[in-house]
Amino acid sequence: MRGTRAVADVRHLPRTVFGNRSLMWWGTMGYIMIEGTTLFICAVTYFYLSRNFATWPPQHIYRPGLVIPTIQVGVMLLSIIPMRWVDRATRRMDLATVRTGLLICSALILAMCVLRFYEFRALQVRWDTSAYGSAAWAVVFSHTTLLVLEAAETLTITALIFGDQVEERDLSGVSDNALYWYFLTGVWVPLYIAVFLSPYFM
Amino acid sequence: MLSLLQQSHSVLNPSSPQTRLIDRLWDAMYFVSAVVFVLVVLALLLSVFRRRDSEAAETDPGQERSLTTAVSIATALTVLILFGFLVYDVAVGRQLTRGLGKDALQVRVIGHQWWWELQYRDSVAQNWFTTANELHIPVGRPVALELLSTDVIHSFWPPTVSQKRDLIPGKDNSLWLQADTPGVYRGQCAEYCGQQHAKMAFLVIAQRPDSFASWLAAQRDTALTPTTQPAIRGQEVFLASSCVMCHAIAGTPAGSRIGPDLTHLASRRTIAAGTLPNTRGNLAGWIVNPQSIKPGTRMPPNQLKPADLQALLAYLETLK
Amino acid sequence: MSAAAAPVPQPPPAYEDQERVRRELEQTWAQPPGLWHWLRSVDHKSIAKRYIVTAFIFFVLAGLEAATMRAQLARPENTVLGPDAYNQFFTMHGLTMMFLFAVPIMEAMGLYFVPLMIGARNVAFPRLNAYGYWVYLCGGIFLYLMFFMNTGPDVGWFGYVPLSGPEFSPGKRADVYAQAITFTEIASLVGSVELIVTIFKNRAPGMTLNRMPLFVWAMLVQAFMILFAMPWVATATQFLAMDRLMATHFFNPAEGGDALLWQHLFWFFGHPEVYIIFIPALGFVSSIIGTFTRRPVFGYPVMVLSMIATGFLGFGLWVHHMFATGLPQLGESFFTGASMMIAIPSGIQIFCWIATIWSGRPRFTVPFLFVLGFVVLFIIGGFTGVMIASVPFDQQVHDSYFIVAHFHYVLIGGAVFPLFGAFYYWFPKVTGRMLSERLGRWNFWLFFIGMNVTFFPMHQLGFEGMPRRVYTYLPETGWGDLNLLATIGAVTIATSMLIFVINVVRSYRVGLPAGDDPWGGETLEWATTSPPPHYNFEYPPVVESRSPLWDTTGEMPVVTGLRTDVRDTLVTTLLDAEPDSKHRHPNPSIWPLLSAIATTILFVTLIFTPWGAVIGTPLFLLALLGWGWPRGRDKREQQLVESEA
Repeated sequence: MRGTRAVADVRHLPRTVFGNRSLMWWGTMGYIMIEGTTLFICAVTYFYLSRNFATWPPQHIYRPGLVIPTIQVGVMLLSIIPMRWVDRATRRMDLATVRTGLLICSALILAMCVLRFYEFRALQVRWDTSAYGSAAWAVVFSHTTLLVLEAAETLTITALIFGDQVEERDLSGVSDNALYWYFLTGVWVPLYIAVFLSPYFM
Repeated sequence: MLSLLQQSHSVLNPSSPQTRLIDRLWDAMYFVSAVVFVLVVLALLLSVFRRRDSEAAETDPGQERSLTTAVSIATALTVLILFGFLVYDVAVGRQLTRGLGKDALQVRVIGHQWWWELQYRDSVAQNWFTTANELHIPVGRPVALELLSTDVIHSFWPPTVSQKRDLIPGKDNSLWLQADTPGVYRGQCAEYCGQQHAKMAFLVIAQRPDSFASWLAAQRDTALTPTTQPAIRGQEVFLASSCVMCHAIAGTPAGSRIGPDLTHLASRRTIAAGTLPNTRGNLAGWIVNPQSIKPGTRMPPNQLKPADLQALLAYLETLK
Repeated sequence: MSAAAAPVPQPPPAYEDQERVRRELEQTWAQPPGLWHWLRSVDHKSIAKRYIVTAFIFFVLAGLEAATMRAQLARPENTVLGPDAYNQFFTMHGLTMMFLFAVPIMEAMGLYFVPLMIGARNVAFPRLNAYGYWVYLCGGIFLYLMFFMNTGPDVGWFGYVPLSGPEFSPGKRADVYAQAITFTEIASLVGSVELIVTIFKNRAPGMTLNRMPLFVWAMLVQAFMILFAMPWVATATQFLAMDRLMATHFFNPAEGGDALLWQHLFWFFGHPEVYIIFIPALGFVSSIIGTFTRRPVFGYPVMVLSMIATGFLGFGLWVHHMFATGLPQLGESFFTGASMMIAIPSGIQIFCWIATIWSGRPRFTVPFLFVLGFVVLFIIGGFTGVMIASVPFDQQVHDSYFIVAHFHYVLIGGAVFPLFGAFYYWFPKVTGRMLSERLGRWNFWLFFIGMNVTFFPMHQLGFEGMPRRVYTYLPETGWGDLNLLATIGAVTIATSMLIFVINVVRSYRVGLPAGDDPWGGETLEWATTSPPPHYNFEYPPVVESRSPLWDTTGEMPVVTGLRTDVRDTLVTTLLDAEPDSKHRHPNPSIWPLLSAIATTILFVTLIFTPWGAVIGTPLFLLALLGWGWPRGRDKREQQLVESEA
């Protein structure tokens, strides 16, 4: 090994950084890209299969109900506000706000999970009825797996953040979770349009 | 089968207008590629083995500049060659898909695991008939093939007379072909379709118009009623055994379409989709134990008494 | 150096205490011996070595499958393998080579050398990295267990529906196919996120994007391709599994499903897959050519742009696998154009390498020989690739042995030859010993000759009408002689592989000691010891040019100030690699393995019953909880570093 000479010292550098300065932010971003691609594929499949039918939904199948799904979209979009609030509070190390905000968000995501159950019913078609049913279920189901995982993650984080030894790094984790939350709720808007609204136009 | 041995069934031995176009395209691409290959390998060898000054500067700016020029020229030539290929290729593609004449013969090809069903259509419904694994066509006349599958994906490919086209369930495909010279051209399923994909061959038999016409007339007939004693007995065996569960013989009560139509079985050159020459011995072996010849085939083994088997063979041999 | 670092460089604290620093680092990063610690390891080098060894074992298995198939095809109507076995063999050969060998081993090379080349101490997420390996291993074992129980997939690595659907593939073979792919997808996606984040955020100070080694660029492009390509096949196989297990109708034409949908989804992954395998090989070639001509590779910016262009174009060609399906002609012409266009960046890179050799001073080592072999073979495969981009020509040779010849030239010539070059090149770094050059030459020449004897005749077989995936052929087809020749070639390749294995085993024990830098390399991995210590570098190196080891003579510039009592690493900025923050890496953990086992239980039970989700999902979530819950040494160390301020 060669000899070394020091040209700089990094001991003063911070340990907790937020946003795209943090490794976890990039890891979350990678995960978002993978899941975003997967949801995109489901939507592509949905529209690809629609070409095989004269009408969409096919004959003798009801169009999906709109009430619950529309409420769901509303809840998801509204939930961005408290999550954004939490996100900002993490950067100020404002633990009290983070705790309150996370409680609200936990309640909201549980509500989303319940609403999702009724959304499946609102599809008014079974997955094995025809390719239409399969495609519609694929889109909603794929998003649901992400929703459930995010619910588990958010509840875990909330539990952690109410512990007595909260570290700076945990707050950075909350902020990265917020990034994923924006993706999860935001991506539902085009998917909602595809599965619930587009049958009214196609 | 003898004619098979006499002929090369190679893409490079084309017997139809389309395959000739593709063969010429290949010749051009091959020639250009070979020249470029030799040049690049020469450049590589030269770059490795060229004499070098023992103490030249590590990187000489003049040399870097001339290398840049060389790489740029080589890149430009690559682009040009590729563009040439593209233009030629699109031109050939257009010629291949050009519409065909009104007098085209219409044949429907249906892929099955693991044989080919061929339906010859006609404006007179009476004239329709079905055969298997042998596509007879008149030389010099375009043939419009309708390609369907009822099970999995197959691909129709007789290399000397036509490019290939997939038979896809749920999608109607079409292909036209034409042979210039009379002959027997071999083809084989080119899309993996399960256990016996390897033994799913067929023959394209290009005939002069007059002999094609007589073949057509013969095929349109129903099967002859057997007259000799063993054949009469054989028909009884056929109709009484499990054969009728899958096979049809026009003019008899047997009408199932699961397996190949046997109305003119004896006129065909091969059995089991190009697997065996159509001889009495092969037919006997095939009927008794098809799984030993084509493991996995849908045809079940048949336990027949020797006398019944001989009678059945005698009957099948009358199905000219 | 950046303004972010301390304005006045201080000498490393107690520089005379280097022994103490080394001792502390050893202790902090240690991986004690013993199975328990081995299972818990999160060292990127340990993980990558396992990946490479495992992938190589799968390579040998797939090779043996190929050899058995060649034995069957050596003469017409042969009876070495029946159709049922043969169809499993060729499916397993393809699946193994693509999913268990090529992609994992390329990623593993990246996971080993990228951190070393960019001066990092580990990959960005060490535990996730371990999880990826364990999932891959479980998937591979699962697939081969099923194969040995005669339930190996027999639908081809491409698994076309309806043949792989519920109606035509009863039994579990096609389910094994779908699920085995899911395993490997997870592993490769994990690997790609690792590589991207590591390359973006853990580069040595001063290693701007513009100074990144070409190898690292290659791994970055590959990782992004994996990120966008793999979800397609993962989703497609999930649809297939649902069609088979839950009676959905994605691919069932009778209910409005579509057989061609599968082909679109599969090839939208399947074509980029080729480049996912090939692009890392470009990185190996550039590294080897740079070192053995003793000059930086000619045209660095062009090389980088070519790789990026290949990465993008790779996504625009999938339809050229479907030219025989009868798609509209206009669309086909577009894909012809795109398929030919991708030859341009490949051509440019070959020209640049030739220019590098021309102006450099080539040394005839075994790695360099493999690179020369690569160029020759890859040009042949490239030319046949341009030819089959032509719709009319492809409609002749599609699914014939011509294609078998083509893609073996591309994949063996284009990827495996550079990989073997890379083995010879980096073996000294990994083990501290040199591979034998003499055996290496035997290895190379037998491989090169065997490869051509095996695959060149297949072009002609394709012309003569021999389709792919046939377990036998009739004597009157006249294909016997060339097939026999190909089988002789296969034996030659097998011999060369045997020589390689002997060489590795012998050299590992008694090879010449390598020293830190046996070849006079250009990049940072040669700056540390062979094999590298668990912490890679005592101090993060500082990079001042593209060829740090050539341009910086004398002492290596480094940064100081990372802790030695916890697993500290340096995080730098994305574009300019300026020191930005410190990050404490996690300690070894058993949870990645437990999580992988939970994942395996989930996937395997799902094949047999939908209740698998009910059993497997809670297990998986539990494992994730165990993984993420702070405790023990990690918790103590985290408190320690948080109290710094």
